[in-house]
Amino acid sequence: MSALLDQLPGLLGAHLRLTLIALAVGIGLSLPLGVLATRVAWLERVVMVLASVVQTIPGLALLAVMVPILAALSLPSIGLLPALIGLSAYSILPILRNTVTGIRGVDPATIEAARGVGMSEVERLRLVELPLAMPVIVAGVRTASVWVVGTATLSTPVGAPSLGNYIFAGLQTRNDAAVILGCVAAAALALTLDGLIRLLEWSLTERRVGLRWALLGLVALAYAWVLGAPLVARLTGARGGDRVVIGTKPFTEQYILGEVLRAELAEQTALEPELLASLGSKVAFDALVSGDVDVYIDYSGTLWTNVYDGEVERGSERAVILAELERWLAAEYDVVLVASLGFENAYALAVPRERAAAHGLAAIGDLTAHAPRWSIAGDYEFFSRPEWAALGQRYGLAFAETRPMDTALMYEAVRTGEVEVLSAYSSDGRIAAYDLELLDDPRGAIPPYDAVILVNGAAARADPELVEVLAALDGQISVERMRAANKAVDLDGRPIEAAAAELRAAIRK
Amino acid sequence: MLGGSGSGKTTILKLINRLLEPSAGRILLAGEDITAIPAHLLRRRIGYVFQDIGLFPHMRVGANVGITPRLLGWAPKQIRARTDELLELVELPAADYRDRWPHELSGGQAQRVGVARALAAAPELVLFDEPFGALDPLTRLRLQTRLQTLRAELGFAAVFVTHDMHEALALADRVAVLHAGRLQQLATPAELFAEPANDYVAALMETISGPARLVEALAAGGEPGDNAGDGSQA
Repeated sequence: MSALLDQLPGLLGAHLRLTLIALAVGIGLSLPLGVLATRVAWLERVVMVLASVVQTIPGLALLAVMVPILAALSLPSIGLLPALIGLSAYSILPILRNTVTGIRGVDPATIEAARGVGMSEVERLRLVELPLAMPVIVAGVRTASVWVVGTATLSTPVGAPSLGNYIFAGLQTRNDAAVILGCVAAAALALTLDGLIRLLEWSLTERRVGLRWALLGLVALAYAWVLGAPLVARLTGARGGDRVVIGTKPFTEQYILGEVLRAELAEQTALEPELLASLGSKVAFDALVSGDVDVYIDYSGTLWTNVYDGEVERGSERAVILAELERWLAAEYDVVLVASLGFENAYALAVPRERAAAHGLAAIGDLTAHAPRWSIAGDYEFFSRPEWAALGQRYGLAFAETRPMDTALMYEAVRTGEVEVLSAYSSDGRIAAYDLELLDDPRGAIPPYDAVILVNGAAARADPELVEVLAALDGQISVERMRAANKAVDLDGRPIEAAAAELRAAIRK
Repeated sequence: MLGGSGSGKTTILKLINRLLEPSAGRILLAGEDITAIPAHLLRRRIGYVFQDIGLFPHMRVGANVGITPRLLGWAPKQIRARTDELLELVELPAADYRDRWPHELSGGQAQRVGVARALAAAPELVLFDEPFGALDPLTRLRLQTRLQTLRAELGFAAVFVTHDMHEALALADRVAVLHAGRLQQLATPAELFAEPANDYVAALMETISGPARLVEALAAGGEPGDNAGDGSQA
């Protein structure tokens, strides 16, 4: 718990910073747009429809879609920028809607008086319409701030640290304390902002001038901190060795291995390694190519499916595929495949041992006869992946039901008999713990999934010792070691750092 | 300008300060075609007292009165002096009323602030759009009297719209009788009585002389209804 709390100031600060910047951008966009919409009749419909459409996009998708868009524009595609664009877009609707409503709600008699006393269009807006609409606009900002605080937890997968780090890592490693801490901190932040802005609203409607200025002063201070803090960090932080950013995807094994790499580099080099946790799968690779991430661990099968576009066939042997990937990644992306850790984390069909014995299941082909009466669980992406299509083709599998579900739940589902078959990960600690049997794949429907360390080409050339230390891990982690480490976290509730330390100790032996 | 609802009184008023634009014809202000003047600059030269008062609810009384001078770029000190002067003129002691919010005023007080606001920038012309219509008779009478004094003191021209015959006859130098969008007659109150231009104007005059005879009959101790429509006994 104290390790969790240690991260709180940093993550809370990052979360607040994201929220404040996104709100500022959101206000900066929607206020003029809202004013314009009250002046140009057709514009109101257009902007309101657009803003509503943005609102219907799920937050995670909105943030994730920024990554390829920014990459296509050759802009920094992970980290602050995609998160801020997504969050700003999210904050537009409530502010825009309330700006339009607020201005439209000004008494027509007051508007006429404003014109009658000789105000120009701009003076009328500045002296009458905006001041009178302000409580309504501020209410819109309040709604937006609550939405943005909530949605900002989703910036973690696009590489911007937030309170979502607790939630994503906690969900994957079944660390309930982390999940709750992340949620409570985000809720507390949302309630605090809501309360402060509510107070500002009240000071506006009740014309409490002193309170209003006090609150605006607080806002100014907050923004001074937002703008000033990175500057201070830059001035004071420019010392020591080079930074190395280690990316991880959002699941237990990745957190453990990321920590292993970090500890190895911290111990054996002068570099300053830091973790960028819980990146989306595609985000991690894009970030490596762009140099936002220097190192991360991926799997040959994933790269084969998502990135590779060469000549070698998918049924080839592990070594052939690894060699071809190494060549391909270097040639196409200037990415160095530094080491293959020695284990696979492949998709594998699993059944409880008792069921395997009862029905004589040893290979995937043995399922074909039972499939029409059975259901199968898999992670969210499995049933839309080429492996699933290949399994169907090569073994003639047709299950009664396919049930995508959260990784943490699907092992429970097969253990309790909720589903008969599971698409498991071959390095998962729960395979041994739940006594699951992996079925053979003699027809090669599923490609090999060797865990490999990838390094950005420029980073590799800049720091030879980086490559040297990481290359020493080649072949050091057997599937049994990895399963034991995964089990320690997923089932025994050990901290990531402890599991990583044990794994490193096992390597040293 | 005197006329029933829908006769076009307010429309003419709004045409004068370009809250509406004419589809045909010209309006001259001191010999100058008003369409040659940017609308908001024109309006700063013309005071306007609105039927529904239209004080800015987020500005204190003082700021409401000083708004046009502020738009004209007067110095704050000058605005303050002028605001206080006008509040006194409409019989609202500045020290007491300057810092009040509009919602703290009665209807009569609010409309007096409205009058002060219209006069603040010393306009050459002031437009009144049935300003006292919603007030009780005593307050109305007091404000009408006050307006006459102000006009004498400050010397501005006024176009005053009303559907109240008494008000028109009491305040106006000349009355324009409007009906169904047309000008029926433009004349002094006396001429209207003496030589109504048509049946409409004549009927209109009757609505005021009839009750007047009734009042006189009552004052003379007669019975209401006795020859009320006759008038020969008066």
